[in-house]
Amino acid sequence: MASAEVGHRAARTFGAAPQGTARLLRVNLRRNSMPWILLLIAALFWFDSYRPSIATSPLYGMRTFWNLGQGHTIIDFGPFVAGVAAWMGSREGRRGLGDLVTTTARPRWAAQLATWAATTIWAVAAYLVFVCVMFAAYARQGVGGSPPWWWVAVGATAVAAFSAAGFALGAYWPSRFAAAVAAFGGFVAMALSSRTGFSHTSGWALILPTNSNGSFDGSVQADSGIFYPWLPDLPIVRIMFLAGIAVAALGLTGLPARAGGPWLRRAAVAVTLAGVALAGTGIELATTAKVAANGIVIPALHDAANDAPLAYRPVCGHAAGVPLCLNPAYARWMPNLTTALAPVLLEVRGLAGAPVRATQVPASYPSGNGGPPQVITLGGQPPVLRLSLGLVNLPGPCGFCSGPVVSKAFANQVRLMFAHAFAGAGSGRGTQAQQAVQAAMLRVAGLPFAAQPRLIANTEDFLASGPRPQPAPSSANGPVYAAAARLAGLSAAARHAWLASHLAALRAGRLALKDLP
Amino acid sequence: MTATGLHRQVPGSFLRGETAAVLALAGLRLTRLYLISRRIPVALALLAGIGALLWAALHWQWNIAGGPAAAHFFPLTIETGAAAVISVTTHGPFGEPERAAGRWLPWLRLGAALALTAIAFGALAAGATAGTLPGGTLALLRDLGGMTGVGLLSAVFIGGAFGWAGPMAFLLITEGALAHRSTTPWAWPTRLPHDRGGAICACLVVAAGLVLITVRGPREPGRDAGEAS
Repeated sequence: MASAEVGHRAARTFGAAPQGTARLLRVNLRRNSMPWILLLIAALFWFDSYRPSIATSPLYGMRTFWNLGQGHTIIDFGPFVAGVAAWMGSREGRRGLGDLVTTTARPRWAAQLATWAATTIWAVAAYLVFVCVMFAAYARQGVGGSPPWWWVAVGATAVAAFSAAGFALGAYWPSRFAAAVAAFGGFVAMALSSRTGFSHTSGWALILPTNSNGSFDGSVQADSGIFYPWLPDLPIVRIMFLAGIAVAALGLTGLPARAGGPWLRRAAVAVTLAGVALAGTGIELATTAKVAANGIVIPALHDAANDAPLAYRPVCGHAAGVPLCLNPAYARWMPNLTTALAPVLLEVRGLAGAPVRATQVPASYPSGNGGPPQVITLGGQPPVLRLSLGLVNLPGPCGFCSGPVVSKAFANQVRLMFAHAFAGAGSGRGTQAQQAVQAAMLRVAGLPFAAQPRLIANTEDFLASGPRPQPAPSSANGPVYAAAARLAGLSAAARHAWLASHLAALRAGRLALKDLP
Repeated sequence: MTATGLHRQVPGSFLRGETAAVLALAGLRLTRLYLISRRIPVALALLAGIGALLWAALHWQWNIAGGPAAAHFFPLTIETGAAAVISVTTHGPFGEPERAAGRWLPWLRLGAALALTAIAFGALAAGATAGTLPGGTLALLRDLGGMTGVGLLSAVFIGGAFGWAGPMAFLLITEGALAHRSTTPWAWPTRLPHDRGGAICACLVVAAGLVLITVRGPREPGRDAGEAS
């Protein structure tokens, strides 16, 4: 009989603890200041994170560069969440309820953690909802590629870390100023993160939540989420760092004598140290990061399965009879490309070295030397034109450019890069003969010589890599343009015949200007 | 015992002097209690710290690489911090009894806001001596004043305890305006220091904030706010 009673009571006690915790959490969710500030955050999120992003190309890498890469979703949330969390953390102290709460059955630390959990649930849930609504809006606008979900997880963890840091400040300093100081501290922390992050592309600074310098698709014009997956390596490390900060801050709230008994306080010490260790591990791992073609790789965390390219069904069209296939994420620019390529492809149609088809290839993260690779290359047997479109600003909105990219300017750039590749100029400016042929092709395609130097200067990053001993020509004068004028002045048939007989020598760099007709 | 030599005091003169002294003492006591209830000493310490932070930011050149938004971020953030502290001091813990009994309360609110703004300006101007502040002292005065106005307005509408949220939100709006080269005078930090439009908008906001905080006072705490120490 007695043992049966004991068993019954034990069962009730076992079930009562989670129920009590759930009830405590429910009460804290209901009596929480966070929902009120979320209205303000929603307005700021729209203004600062969403609105600027829709002025960029409709590709996820570009759209999310400002708000997730540069961390504006975190800046919009973090300081405000830290402020409200400080207000919640200081609640008992402000009301002078510390002694009263200490005498209750539940340890004070447990009650504080329930308050923090409720505050953080509100904040993180709102963050996820806002980001999902933003992505839904992107989806309605037909944004190409796949969303960077790992970076969303970084943002959610950052919100939790701000909440924990603010809460700890409020718990230790139950003042009316705690909230303001926590929010202010959040802004200063983000400013310091940007200060270091914007100037460091490697090393420990990669851990900083606003550092997108060379580590996020939009900053390097790559094709994450389009040709290859978003690599999770760097996001995982940042999550470790931010989670470590959150855990350490929460551990600190359990250290004072009033927080609980000796065992609980020892546990708080262990939690604090675990948090510090987690954050430190994250920093250490960040120092081992390397830039690969598809993103930042951290060897200790890297999963080779993430290197596999994404499967897709290409979207194809024709430019002057030459098949042109693109990734479906870029399908909206098919008309721009066919229009741009048609005149120059017509010029070279039928030549032995002319491309038989054109296809899009992934833009890769830069190796760090010599600038970005060429956008258009020509190679293979039969010759195939390869377009790395992720590297260039495509027609339409262009984010922080001086204005939107107009179709005509884009077409001229594409024609220049095609002529450059066709003449065999490679990754430099090419020989004088190659430059003359390039100029003649552009002239025949409708671009006057006078407009070419400026176009070359604007496009040079994608024409020539490595050091440039001489500046690009500023005017269309000199022997190169004189030879180009002669070539362009020939009839189409004569020019075609000259190219057919001299193309191999031209590409090999064996022709001089005097060899041109 | 004689009364010879005693001069009769002019009737009422002793009383008048005593009353004036009592009134002065009472006024001082009232002011002191008001300042303590609004935690002004802590606010002064924080403003001094914010001035020191600006000094450190300029001395060690905590610059962010980038455009105007990046260049202004540190100074604007620090000015926002000062405005946030001033707005939080408007929070009163007493509510209805204080309003019913204190006829000097509006003047105390006005005086405290003005004095703290002046002190914040002094602290920041002192901090700015460590380097070159974007826009100089005139822009500092305009930006700090305008942001304080935003803080006072948010204290009026959402409560003194959360008054800091207004300047912080305005900081983000201003940064967005700077990043996108918007030049609306309502985002006055985006304008040149001598720009009349920006100055007028900042003055309007600070005037509205001062008038409303004087006449209406901050919004009373909600059910969750409780006592603010």
